[in-house]
Amino acid sequence: MIRLLAVIERDLKKFRRNPVVLAMSILMPIIYLVILGNSFQGKLTGLPVAVVSRDTGPFAKRLVENLRAIEAGPATFTLIRMTDSREAIDGVRKGRYKGALIIPQDFSRRMTLKGRPEVGLFLDNTDGISSETIRNLVNSALASLGSPYVPIRERADIAHLRDINLYPKVDYYQSLVPGVVIMAIFLGTLTTGAFNLVMDRFLGIDESYLLTPLSKSHIVAGLIISGLSITTIIATVIFTVSVLITGIPLARAVQQCASIFLVIVLTTLCLLSLMFVILGRIGHPRIVGILSGFLNVILFFPSGAVYPVASFPGWLKTFARINPEAYAVDALKSILFKNAPVTSISGDLAFLAVFTAVMMTTSILAFKRTL
Amino acid sequence: MQKEKAISVTGITKRFGEITAVDNVSFDVDEGEFFGFLGPNGAGKTTLIRMLTTLLKPTDGQAFVSSFDVVKDPAEVRRNIGVVPQAMTSDLDLTGYENMDLYGRFYGIRGRERKERISDLLDKVGLTSRSGDLVATYSGGMRRRLEIARVLVHRPKLLFLDEPTIGLDPQSRRVVWDFLEKLIEGDSMTIFLTTHYMEEAEALCGRVAIIDAGTIIALGSPAELKAQIPGSDIISLTLETLTDEVVRRVEELPFVHKVKTEDNSVRVYTDNGARNLPSLIDEVRKAGGSVQSATIHEQSLEDVFIHYTGKSIREEEAKKVSFLVGAGIPQKLGR
Repeated sequence: MIRLLAVIERDLKKFRRNPVVLAMSILMPIIYLVILGNSFQGKLTGLPVAVVSRDTGPFAKRLVENLRAIEAGPATFTLIRMTDSREAIDGVRKGRYKGALIIPQDFSRRMTLKGRPEVGLFLDNTDGISSETIRNLVNSALASLGSPYVPIRERADIAHLRDINLYPKVDYYQSLVPGVVIMAIFLGTLTTGAFNLVMDRFLGIDESYLLTPLSKSHIVAGLIISGLSITTIIATVIFTVSVLITGIPLARAVQQCASIFLVIVLTTLCLLSLMFVILGRIGHPRIVGILSGFLNVILFFPSGAVYPVASFPGWLKTFARINPEAYAVDALKSILFKNAPVTSISGDLAFLAVFTAVMMTTSILAFKRTL
Repeated sequence: MQKEKAISVTGITKRFGEITAVDNVSFDVDEGEFFGFLGPNGAGKTTLIRMLTTLLKPTDGQAFVSSFDVVKDPAEVRRNIGVVPQAMTSDLDLTGYENMDLYGRFYGIRGRERKERISDLLDKVGLTSRSGDLVATYSGGMRRRLEIARVLVHRPKLLFLDEPTIGLDPQSRRVVWDFLEKLIEGDSMTIFLTTHYMEEAEALCGRVAIIDAGTIIALGSPAELKAQIPGSDIISLTLETLTDEVVRRVEELPFVHKVKTEDNSVRVYTDNGARNLPSLIDEVRKAGGSVQSATIHEQSLEDVFIHYTGKSIREEEAKKVSFLVGAGIPQKLGR
């Protein structure tokens, strides 16, 4: 016990003497929330679309009016009226517009004569998300051309959709909070725990520790415990700050916070032991640098923190099934947004616990007690 | 009754792929002995010490340290020994005191006793006033002294020192030597030291094993080792051109025991070099040689090394570029 405590204390002391690391580990995930939240707003707005109408007939006017209505409403795009179609298409090529809609001269005539009316939509399809959105909106504007007037009152004979939200509304910033907490845990576990082993090895001071009666489990468990305390503190601070910034309502604050804390602790243990398996025999911090970017991508993006797991292709879904971050995100979302009781996330917690046990055993077995 | 063996090694061998770093080495060290391994860098000293201190598994052979098998019972071995590795291994982000305190705790020494031992040791190595400063602010000599003090906190019966004065200036080296001499005076501690400084081996060790290319080439007390080479002094002459005639005539001189040649210089093994030098130079002149410089020195372990290997430890030293990087394991095969 005296030995285990000594390993832990050494690590905590060294961490405390380096306040820059602490400040960075807290600030970076929060900045990440701000940048990510502002760059993927969730829905698109203000896409510039050029419109050239060479038809003066009623249907062309209707179509433009429909588009104007979208511009005035959800403001997904901004219309730029132009007269020269060549200039409009050129503008798309040069990246000035995301799309150019060309309504030909005979559009209204063909509409009345049922003669296959067509409009041209030139899209910058290198930007898949924007072009897909514009195509869909133009299609819906075209679809409503067929009805002779815009219904003012709802008609009894048309089926209507009534959508019911099961949970309180979650805005985009709030929906990122679980991801930010996970990111904080990832960064914390990467720079504590096994990383200290790598640094000691790199500086050559591991030799002096290997010469003492410390056992494998003293070293691994000690570093995991110190990494756990550091990372848990960082992740809890970040969780609190981001809940305050985004204003997530917590109906049963005490229970919810306790459950969140449990998820944070378990996820931290899980990632710390995973890092021990991955970094256990590495002797140069540069390799950790390369691995960190890679690990972040393969663990974070398929976790469902940014994009729902359900929309992944099959192979990626399978990967998400063994990705501990996916279980952590699911647990955090359930507690934060659905106000779920701890029992409902028991599946997630069980997975994290089993994963931790397997990784920790592997890392102690694989740990080399010699040089 | 026979004295208990502190170290007993039979046929120990370590291979890293194609390279044989330690080749079938056997020796014993008695309890209370100050035993030295002398050899150039790359001779296998660090590999040997690492096998004895459980950091490397031998490819072949057996070693008992404090009566425990280093392969079968590494934990017991570690509990009984103290080791100062060649590279500086104290933790730069911790203070001197904290470094010692951690070590004491790793060995399971409890509060008050640990405190007392640490302050006593810090006092002995003259670091009491700096014990609260981060090791990052220490000089090389201070760091080394701290590292020696650190492995004494648990009072080991057997102390291993791998090149304890490497990279230190002569003054710091002196301080370390004095401290080591003081250590053996009081306790019945056994010390095993490796070095490539013959002065160090000569000044400190009771017995010395000379190691080259992974094998022991000579073993004995410094006096015994020196007795194996003829004469007591060595005269080195550098000539403009060295001819066979010169060598032949010098060899025939009555006071000359042995002659070794290298490029344009001769090493002449003799007794009372100062008295014989003038007649030696005369003889060289008569044989048609012209002497450019002459030196006389008393025989040292360096000469024993030259006697057995035909090369000097210092030459070997100059060939090695970096001794701190990966000492003991060839870089390519190491970690």
